[in-house]
Amino acid sequence: MKILVADDSRVMRQIVIRTLRQAGYDDHDIVEAEDGRDAYDKVQAENPDLVLSDWNMPNMTGLECLQALRSAGSGVPFGFVTSEGSQEMRDKASAAGALFLIAKPFNEETFRENLDGVIA
Amino acid sequence: MTLAPDAVARPTIPELIDEATVEAIAGEAWVALVGEDEVLVPLPADLPAETLSAWVDVVGPWTGSVVLTTGRQTAADLTRALLGQAAPELLDHEDVADAFGEIANVVGGNVKAALPGPSTLGLPQVGEAPDVRNPADVCRLEVLWRGQPLVVSVQGALPALSTPHPNPPHPNGASL
Repeated sequence: MKILVADDSRVMRQIVIRTLRQAGYDDHDIVEAEDGRDAYDKVQAENPDLVLSDWNMPNMTGLECLQALRSAGSGVPFGFVTSEGSQEMRDKASAAGALFLIAKPFNEETFRENLDGVIA
Repeated sequence: MTLAPDAVARPTIPELIDEATVEAIAGEAWVALVGEDEVLVPLPADLPAETLSAWVDVVGPWTGSVVLTTGRQTAADLTRALLGQAAPELLDHEDVADAFGEIANVVGGNVKAALPGPSTLGLPQVGEAPDVRNPADVCRLEVLWRGQPLVVSVQGALPALSTPHPNPPHPNGASL
């Protein structure tokens, strides 16, 4: 399957991709996006099976990206990987249609807990 | 006597968070981002002359910045640790700004979660640390990473400074 990783930090994209591999999800195609706008465009162009997105990004936040995708009729499975994990944000994420919210810092176990059942 | 509403309503950071909490947050970020064996030792030491800061702003019931400051070489070492095998032979400033900024983002995001909300978190910035506005509105943690000093400062943004930058340009245009 194809996983889109959206984060404005290139370093954090690499850490997310590395953690996916450490968690055992190492045979998937990875597409990277550098902000919410780029993620929105790449969901349309690349048709990923899952989006892992940061929340706080320039141009378009992860939440705005998710809301735009749902408005455009996309039901792509979407989860947040973000430095903020407050209940308020979890509620917002869930209301917008996100499957989960992984708070940074995370490890491979956190990834497995949230992604088992989402990634085949 | 009537106090201004802000003076009554706005708590200072020592009322909201203590050094031990900031240390726990930073320590967890280090283990997850920098490496499993990477520990922060809570010991004060003088920062070198050449420093770099990375910070995120928090705006809400408490408004201020979560600022990480360390030596430039230590910031580069942190970047290499974060990038691991993906680290290029020669790091450029963009790599260091990205990596150090992301550490500040994770520490800042978790500090924000420990503060009263609702509040918003800004995007990471890297450069010369924002000035301390009010010495009573600061929670400062001094640690060593791999023997090198690093400071985490959770500092209020109020009151606003009368000048926007602590180092205004020299009258003749030269940099100070």
